[in-house]
Amino acid sequence: MREFNIVGKHVPRNDARAKATGTAIYTDDIKLPGMLHGRILRSPLPHARILRIDTSKAAALPGVRCVITGEDTPKIKYGNWRLFPDTQDEYPLAIDKVRFIGDEVAAVAAVDLDTAEEALSLIEVEYEELPAVFDVESAIAQGAPVLHDYCPSNISVNRKIQYGDLEKAFAEADYVREDTFTVHAVSHAYLEPCSSVAQADLDGRITLWTSTQTPYITQCLLASTMNMRENDIRVIKPFVGGGFGGKMELRTWEFCAAFMAKKTGRPVKFTLSREEEFLAGRRRHPMKLTSKVGFKKDGTLTGKDLRIHLDGGAYNAMGPTATFLCGNFGAMLYRYPSYRFFGEHVYTNKPPASAMRGFGAPQSIFATETQMNIAAEELGIDPIELRLKNAQVSGDKIPDVATISTCGFKESLEKVAEMCNWKEKRAQYKTGGGKGIGIGCYSFISGGVFNWFNTQYPFSAAEVRAFDDGTVHLLTMAADIGQGCDTVVKQILAEELGLKMEDIRITSADTSMTPQADLGAWGSRLTLMNGNAVIDAARKIKEQIFGMVSVRFNLNVIHEMECKDGKVFPKGRPQRSMTFGEAVAMAQKANRGEPLVARGYYTPRDKGMVTPAFSFGAQVAEVEVDKETGIVQVKKFWTAHDCGTVINPKAVEGQLEGAIQMGLGYTLSEQFIMDGGKTLNTTFLDYKMPNAMDMPPSETAHIDTYEPEGPMGAKEAGEGLAIPTAPAIAAAVHHATGYRCKDLPITPEKILNATKSL
Amino acid sequence: MRLSKFDFHAPKTISEAIELLQSKGPDARLMAGGTDLLMKMKHGAVKPPCLISLKSVPGLNAIRFDESAGLTIGATALLSEVAEHPDILRHYPTVAQAARATANVQVRNMGTVVGNLCNASPAADNPPIHMAMRAVVLIEGPGGKRELPLDEFFRGPGVTALLPAEIVTGLRVPRMPVNAGTAYHSLSARGKLDCNAVGAAVMLTLKGKICEDVRLFISACGPTPLRGRKAEEMVRGKELTEEIAAKAGAEAAEESLPITDLRASADYRTEMVAVLTRRVLKEACQMALTSQPA
Repeated sequence: MREFNIVGKHVPRNDARAKATGTAIYTDDIKLPGMLHGRILRSPLPHARILRIDTSKAAALPGVRCVITGEDTPKIKYGNWRLFPDTQDEYPLAIDKVRFIGDEVAAVAAVDLDTAEEALSLIEVEYEELPAVFDVESAIAQGAPVLHDYCPSNISVNRKIQYGDLEKAFAEADYVREDTFTVHAVSHAYLEPCSSVAQADLDGRITLWTSTQTPYITQCLLASTMNMRENDIRVIKPFVGGGFGGKMELRTWEFCAAFMAKKTGRPVKFTLSREEEFLAGRRRHPMKLTSKVGFKKDGTLTGKDLRIHLDGGAYNAMGPTATFLCGNFGAMLYRYPSYRFFGEHVYTNKPPASAMRGFGAPQSIFATETQMNIAAEELGIDPIELRLKNAQVSGDKIPDVATISTCGFKESLEKVAEMCNWKEKRAQYKTGGGKGIGIGCYSFISGGVFNWFNTQYPFSAAEVRAFDDGTVHLLTMAADIGQGCDTVVKQILAEELGLKMEDIRITSADTSMTPQADLGAWGSRLTLMNGNAVIDAARKIKEQIFGMVSVRFNLNVIHEMECKDGKVFPKGRPQRSMTFGEAVAMAQKANRGEPLVARGYYTPRDKGMVTPAFSFGAQVAEVEVDKETGIVQVKKFWTAHDCGTVINPKAVEGQLEGAIQMGLGYTLSEQFIMDGGKTLNTTFLDYKMPNAMDMPPSETAHIDTYEPEGPMGAKEAGEGLAIPTAPAIAAAVHHATGYRCKDLPITPEKILNATKSL
Repeated sequence: MRLSKFDFHAPKTISEAIELLQSKGPDARLMAGGTDLLMKMKHGAVKPPCLISLKSVPGLNAIRFDESAGLTIGATALLSEVAEHPDILRHYPTVAQAARATANVQVRNMGTVVGNLCNASPAADNPPIHMAMRAVVLIEGPGGKRELPLDEFFRGPGVTALLPAEIVTGLRVPRMPVNAGTAYHSLSARGKLDCNAVGAAVMLTLKGKICEDVRLFISACGPTPLRGRKAEEMVRGKELTEEIAAKAGAEAAEESLPITDLRASADYRTEMVAVLTRRVLKEACQMALTSQPA
């Protein structure tokens, strides 16, 4: 284990003061001279042909500067899977058809919001309503209405994985069970609604300030939909109030702001209302999962067959990736000698589902873990024992997927069992007695190795500029959206160069100022990928200043050098040191004034099909269920997890608390209440996100591992933690009531209905 | 969305407020804390051209307790003040509890108990216990002063018995009878800080072990908070055994008129009326028993 000075220490976050004092500038805070305010007209129908749009009355309203419909735009489709253009199925504004309630039809820019809002009501749209489908079964039935002409089956993407002999696996098994699970949609519910401001210069170049997780992807897709060159678009990410996967695609208002800014010559801002976010915003994929697993009598797994339908909503969005990842996650955690996955992504007339924290894993692993708990009960083996028997370990290979380089799963299971007094509590609480304890586990990726976006650049990049005053400037396109990567990569750089946090200035997520490129904040990729790029750049700086120290002290070439405490010196001769600034000055002098700048890059290569490194963990929930009302109260969570080296303990703690809050809502209270494609609960009053008072206490342990592929041994600690909460609570509720949930969320009514018949 | 345009008045007296209500027409709206009204305006559900705030009327926020007359809660007394008032905590613990159960800290520091009543939401936290305790609404209008029992005040969701230009200036809650107990329970989908899916409040008076009088009100299960008369009949004149409490719960469930909406299904509500009725009856009975001299 390496000793660190800054990594692993309680370093306050970069943004803490700005956010606590209210000085942080978010996109909606930006006000430019002459700025117009935009609003979007949305479809009131789930599926309809647009026969006619008349914008003349809206355009004539005093104060309205610009009204556009799809007909005014270049009509170029977009989508994040650029490598497969067939999957790019979305226009910025509807052309010919609308496919869900809330689909974007037209946009208005006016001198103020009220005028823009009033103008929307003056746009006349004549629709021919078409039959609509709201669930997967109806969408794939014979003769179902077709959403997209290119896709008559409504199945837009499928994925297969197969290895081992599945028939043999089930033939040899002593115990085979098949279950079908359904999971529902939930909202990202980020506190900052989507917002964008665009400005066009006199040459027609665009600057877009936008609340995004993916400045580079937004830049590229905005360029293509506007029919412009990529570098005529500059995307800047101000402070962002959360994304959770909901802000990682080009979105209509980004296009409209840019397009209308160019058209009017005035800056244009769009900020969505909370109601719009709930009505039409991206959401987690509802899925139907059928899983068949085989076990030997002693609990050894023989194989697994997993079939999934994803309810994708009206467009692909990030659905193809979710389909892909579901299959991979189905093979994680346990050693399946044979495995088969078949997943299909299906169009329905609902708001598109997309990426959301965990990205296919919460759904897939809810099935895995619930089935493990059922099997444990039926085989008469303790659930943790059954898991330990089958758990993946370091070095395990998943055919065609990956090699697991480090894995602290068994240690997590053992640790969490100890923390919560598992054995005693399992024995003490009788099934159906109102109190229960249950376990759920997870594994997640530290960024994806796939390149569906088809970037021509490295996956992540960093530039380090070193100055003779002992400071450095770190430039990176990596997007801090509240998860804290600005702080984390600064820590990594400070550690590598032996500097203090305050010696580092950071500029991030500005596509024309920071080095190309970075795929964005998703898939828990930034600590590993951007961290590695930062280390690469820092090492290049070090090579140059090490040379200076070597010359200055006339050192033997065999000396190893080190940067520490603001000094540069040979490890074996620490007295022969220069300050970092002196060494930089000398390097600069040696290069006759040329500043000391280095760029570092990271692209995962030869790392299988999914990710360079997997995180693991186990979580136990204890619940109390009121048997008369069916209300579940989670009393406590215990979590033991392996995220490699913990770079910033507070940030990891924050991720865990946030993950528990999301998991709690996903399991017990959050859902979209829909009627014929219309989302009915569009406010935080009726969209039941747990709040501070609902948060149970929680205890955590980090399992010590050192991931060779990660920066300073680190892996992901962001999304994975959102996975185990649902299966853990569901298992605890089963222990407390006898009700086994295979259909999220767990509502009081479901518990009462089930327990009555028990 | 932004607020629509409106004139704002803050009269110094009730009669001035009444005059303003008369002169500004039926679309003018009266406001105390504004926590319900301003939300409705922000969502564009109402667009009153004129708001009349009662916050500047001196003394209207008073909370007074008198051994004989009971408790008076002024129209602009805050939910948080009612929740924490020492006399209310002592003599009307369930009134304080209902105020404390309303919304969140921020709303309780802005909103008022009387406002919560006048908003006339069938799911509101404060009406059921006040109705159970025979609270009386104090009204002033162009025709002078009048008093109305709270259980005659609600006429439908958002609709009250107020006549044009009338103002509720306060609420009077009689003292709890000797040997009485009260209780209020509510349920919602989210643990805390939520709008109720169902609620029940009761006041019950014992003579020995026999329940002499009982008043039960159910919220969020009909257009207004509903009185559980048949459930009361089941209890009155009897000792509150488990069996009687359960029967009363079943009667109350039978009497309630729930609908299925975003917050719960009608079936679940019906079932919960039975559970909550049973629980409040038992809790109130316990309180009445412990208040009796040994």
